Amino acid sequence: MSVAVHGEVHGGGVADHIHPEPQTFVRKYIFSIDHKIIGIQYIITSFVFMGLGGLLAELIRVQLMHHSGALVNPDTYNELYSIHGSTMVWLVIIPLLTGGFGNFVFPLQIGARDVAFPWLNMVSFWIFPPAGLMLYSSFLMGAPVAGWTEYPPMSLQGAAGTSMWAAAIFLIGVSSTMTGINFLVTLLKMRAPGMTFTRMPLFCWAQFATAPLLMIATTALGAALAALFIERQFGVPFFDPTKGGSPVLWQHMFWFYSHPAVYIMILPAFGMISEILPTFARKPIFGYKMIAFSSVAIALLGFMVWAHHMFTSGLAPWLQLPFMILTFFIAIPTGIKIFSWLTTLWGGKIQFSTAMLFAVGFIATFTFGGITGVFLAAVPFDLHAHGTYFIVAHLHYVLVGGSLMAILGGVHFWYPKMSGRMMNETLGKWTFWLFFIGFNGTFIPMHWLGLLGMPRRVATYDPQFQTWNIVATAFSFVMTAALLLFFINALYSLRNGRKAGPNPWNARTLEWQIPSPPPYYNFKHVPAVFAAPYDFAEPLPYRGLEGELDPSVPAPVPAGH
Amino acid sequence: MALASSSYPVAGAQTHGEVDRLYAETRDLRLNGFLLFMVSDLVLFSSFIFAYLYLRNSGQGWPPPGINRLDVAFAAFNSVVLFGSGTTMHFALENWKHGHFMKYANWLIATIVLGVTFLGGQGYEYYTLMARLHHTWSGSGIFGASFFTLTGMHGLHVFAGVCFLTVLLMQSVMGKYTPQKYFGLTAGTLYWHFVDVIWVLLFSIFYLI
Repeated sequence: MSVAVHGEVHGGGVADHIHPEPQTFVRKYIFSIDHKIIGIQYIITSFVFMGLGGLLAELIRVQLMHHSGALVNPDTYNELYSIHGSTMVWLVIIPLLTGGFGNFVFPLQIGARDVAFPWLNMVSFWIFPPAGLMLYSSFLMGAPVAGWTEYPPMSLQGAAGTSMWAAAIFLIGVSSTMTGINFLVTLLKMRAPGMTFTRMPLFCWAQFATAPLLMIATTALGAALAALFIERQFGVPFFDPTKGGSPVLWQHMFWFYSHPAVYIMILPAFGMISEILPTFARKPIFGYKMIAFSSVAIALLGFMVWAHHMFTSGLAPWLQLPFMILTFFIAIPTGIKIFSWLTTLWGGKIQFSTAMLFAVGFIATFTFGGITGVFLAAVPFDLHAHGTYFIVAHLHYVLVGGSLMAILGGVHFWYPKMSGRMMNETLGKWTFWLFFIGFNGTFIPMHWLGLLGMPRRVATYDPQFQTWNIVATAFSFVMTAALLLFFINALYSLRNGRKAGPNPWNARTLEWQIPSPPPYYNFKHVPAVFAAPYDFAEPLPYRGLEGELDPSVPAPVPAGH
Repeated sequence: MALASSSYPVAGAQTHGEVDRLYAETRDLRLNGFLLFMVSDLVLFSSFIFAYLYLRNSGQGWPPPGINRLDVAFAAFNSVVLFGSGTTMHFALENWKHGHFMKYANWLIATIVLGVTFLGGQGYEYYTLMARLHHTWSGSGIFGASFFTLTGMHGLHVFAGVCFLTVLLMQSVMGKYTPQKYFGLTAGTLYWHFVDVIWVLLFSIFYLI
């Protein structure tokens, strides 16, 4: 543990985790153990899956353009939304935020040369694409039909693809658990000398709060999936009520994971926003410690609220009350963050770059989604809105308007660091405005549809709901156009973007103090850190970054000793 | 490590001190990672234990109709075998630290033998239970779902542990570890104690309550 007093730096963890330079293409870009390459591999893979999941989303929207179903039969429709949800949660948002941006950004920010277990990191990544393909292969044998939550008894009756789904998600869970362990050890043990916890950039704090969730919650999901798999394949009853099992048991096991998973999908996004805002407001982040600690508070509370997804499942009323109140409590640390971000903007010299537009857009849409979340935590309201489009609207506001918005901001922010080139700002601003308008146009009407009583997960609906469904579908095409523009920009800029240089945004965290893209060894010398990075009036709080590359390659300590 | 004195090792010219420091740091990382792995494994067991307790208390009575009570005496004997193997593993590691190689090897082999004995006992218990349940797992209802899944998962952990310890024995014979540097043995011991602790939990909730 590092402690620094009056500019003196003591302690410091394992600083020099340097690898020999990779020589072959395969070692460098495919089976790489470099956290930066692995991060980019995660990001690219996840965006490919996002293309597939987005295609499914558009099929869903086209189906709902007509009240009797415009495209497919109800069984196929069930498959579409089940795989859409599973893809977006497990193959897109979680890997992007943890394996992707987590891997690339936070080891650089804490001044490490890699994560604690680089080889394990490579294994984590390489489990992920095959598991994703397994998930999609379930279409060949009858995909799951009970939504991404796969509640029994419907999931017990689904075709063989449901077992494939369970196996695929289980593998992704194993990969996530390994990532969580790796990140937690890295954050605890490999910070540069002087990088105390209260000097860590806020993105690192966000990853620090997320890693235990990945490690603990994901394993609980693994148990639920294993039980479902065993029941489906061997007929041993856990969940089938006709054989003495309990479908509500699945809901407990599933949500004990999946509620913390909600925070896995938003805490790193909070961290990204906390990096982008001060950089483009040219002002220290307001309430550094409150933002940092509130992430941890959210992570802890996240384990105590799972049953608020189950208010209509016959949960005893005396149990509903504490879950409702604890869920309300989560609004407090979340509110602290939002007010700290707003206060950071207050009086700042704001530059509306694309990344900043996405960050500000995030605050607006995420707050909106957070408030509907507080509605839904209230038992009486939830009994009314449960299983309607209001839920769909709420979860898309926090996952698309929240997580994805932050991810798009994060790509525009860190793209120069990853590729060495700037993304096109004009295209970027078009992306933002099309996305913002398309997103709100798609999902605002769903609140009204839900309150009017339109149920989610049905292929046909009452004709009275048709108008707003057409509006939503029309705007969903705008959102798709924005994402296509984003992909075009990212690919185009890879070759034609302006050279970025090490620090195009004048940002202050460590990753911006080294070349873009960073060399395989990250830092020539592991720097010493003297303060938190956000004080824009002061000189940079790092020492020892300059000079020749320290050629040291520590003698490899044989594994297993 | 004060910054002023933090000279990085130069390739090919490493002092013993540098090598020891690198070893200590690497060991520290691995130990932390291994402990966290065990935490996540504990969560896996906890989830199934939760499922068992939930099903047990779902109002059908326990054991469910048509299922006899488990044979506590036999399982208690088998538990003693497993706990004994925890003790022998402790002696094995202590002897290694003090450089008594032969004693270490004997205690480790005793641990492996006891682990295999436990697995044999579990196999015998499964066989008798299955005979009563007409040889089907699926026919055993929620009792089988919780009992066979949890104890089976534990049995798989014991099996993995036996393999782990066997590999450690071969590695130490081949000279991979020294009395100063033996992280693999530490990990193996931790894992074996972990499997013991899980069995304490499972024995209590299946046989005692």
